[in-house]
Amino acid sequence: MKPRALLLLLLLALPALALRAQDPLVEALRKYQSGDLQGARDMVDKAVGSEQHAGNAEAWLLRGFVYKDLYKATTGTAEGDAARDTALASLYRTLGIDKDSTYRDNAVQAYEFLSRSCYNEAAKALADGQDTRAVMVFDTYRESMLLLSPKADLRARETEFTNALGTLYTRRFNEDRTRTEWFEKATDTYRGVLRIDPENYGANYNLATLFYNMGVSRIRALQAEADIITMQQVQEVAREYFQLALPFMLKAHDMNPGRSETILGLEGIYYSLQDEMNSEKFRQLYETLPPQEDR
Amino acid sequence: MGSDKGATKSMRRALAELPFWRLGLLLPLLLCSATQQPRDSEKDTTSILQANYIYNIAKLVEWKDDGMRQGNFIVGVLGGANLYQELIKQYSTRTIGKQPIEVRKLPRSADVERCHILFVGKSELGLLPEIYKRNQGKPTMVVTEYAGALDDGAVVNFVKVENLLKYELSMANAKTHGLVVGLTLKNLAHRVQE
Repeated sequence: MKPRALLLLLLLALPALALRAQDPLVEALRKYQSGDLQGARDMVDKAVGSEQHAGNAEAWLLRGFVYKDLYKATTGTAEGDAARDTALASLYRTLGIDKDSTYRDNAVQAYEFLSRSCYNEAAKALADGQDTRAVMVFDTYRESMLLLSPKADLRARETEFTNALGTLYTRRFNEDRTRTEWFEKATDTYRGVLRIDPENYGANYNLATLFYNMGVSRIRALQAEADIITMQQVQEVAREYFQLALPFMLKAHDMNPGRSETILGLEGIYYSLQDEMNSEKFRQLYETLPPQEDR
Repeated sequence: MGSDKGATKSMRRALAELPFWRLGLLLPLLLCSATQQPRDSEKDTTSILQANYIYNIAKLVEWKDDGMRQGNFIVGVLGGANLYQELIKQYSTRTIGKQPIEVRKLPRSADVERCHILFVGKSELGLLPEIYKRNQGKPTMVVTEYAGALDDGAVVNFVKVENLLKYELSMANAKTHGLVVGLTLKNLAHRVQE
């Protein structure tokens, strides 16, 4: 149902109220119709806070719409986030008290729009490098979706977002290899993806690559003047990272045996693990691959 | 020990011990080695470690030959392009004692010029019998990376142990070439052949 039609319905549903000009709900509706969102907000807040309308589905629905429009006018700001939270809560409240389901479709449609906006904003925040905001907005998305449908399967969205978050952390770590907190965050994030979806190719491959690159960078950071004992200690630390990388790269390869990136990855990991036989095996395999787009 | 005959015998033995399928992999590999794409040097961890080992070995060994104690300290590399790059990048401006390090990439030949340390990579195994033969009694330390190398005449050989790169050492071969191996180098070796 279009918002205009909804407003008409609200007016029809509230004939008695419409006659009472002092009623804050009627005032809110009028202000909303005239485009005065701030005024509508004040009135509708007053309405739902009153004993008369506290259990009124129409009042909560109108509040949901007012705050939804306030959010649309202030998207991407703290004010906008707060307006969206209020809109979601109001629409959810509507669903709880709308026993006849009169407004259900409209409330659900608006609620889902707001939930989806959280996901889209999380993706945008990631693209802008704002990981804290991305996580916060994605949490809102998850919570709001599960509140509406507790059995909703959000795994695909969850893995998509978490993989992208891992990529952002990895990029930060690659920009400055001394900032190991980004390495920790990236590995934790990819492990989080694998807890949801152990068969996720991207998370397996990215996790393996992170561990492998960490091992390589440890060896690369070896000081030229390092004595043999120091060098052997560094080598042992690097070996741990290569060993951590191996099962994830093997898994990614098993999932997609034709991908040259995992074949080269395994060749490199085995090489760094001083396992010449397996390294050569994957090098030979790479050489036999037909030309591919990703080669 | 250290003879051409011994070297050939040891390499034949090494090849004989290889399972057929490995031999099948090794032969095409050797044939194709000239055209195989080199590994990205940034990711060649083995070359980084080998370069560091070679630098430490140079510091922990004494060359008794007076002629070797003056001029540049020469590290010759035969095969192992990334090792050469790594040595140039990290160590070519350093010294061993008062001798500046000079890293040379040697042409593919057994007729090797005089070096303090000569590294022969596994891609050049075929040249080794002749190299051992020509190097007899000379003050050059041959460093290699294949099984049985100490029996053939190498002084230091890189070995892979439990996913780590280590080295083994032949005291007898060192002595033959007029090299005095420091105790630290001996103690840190994976295996010492007296």
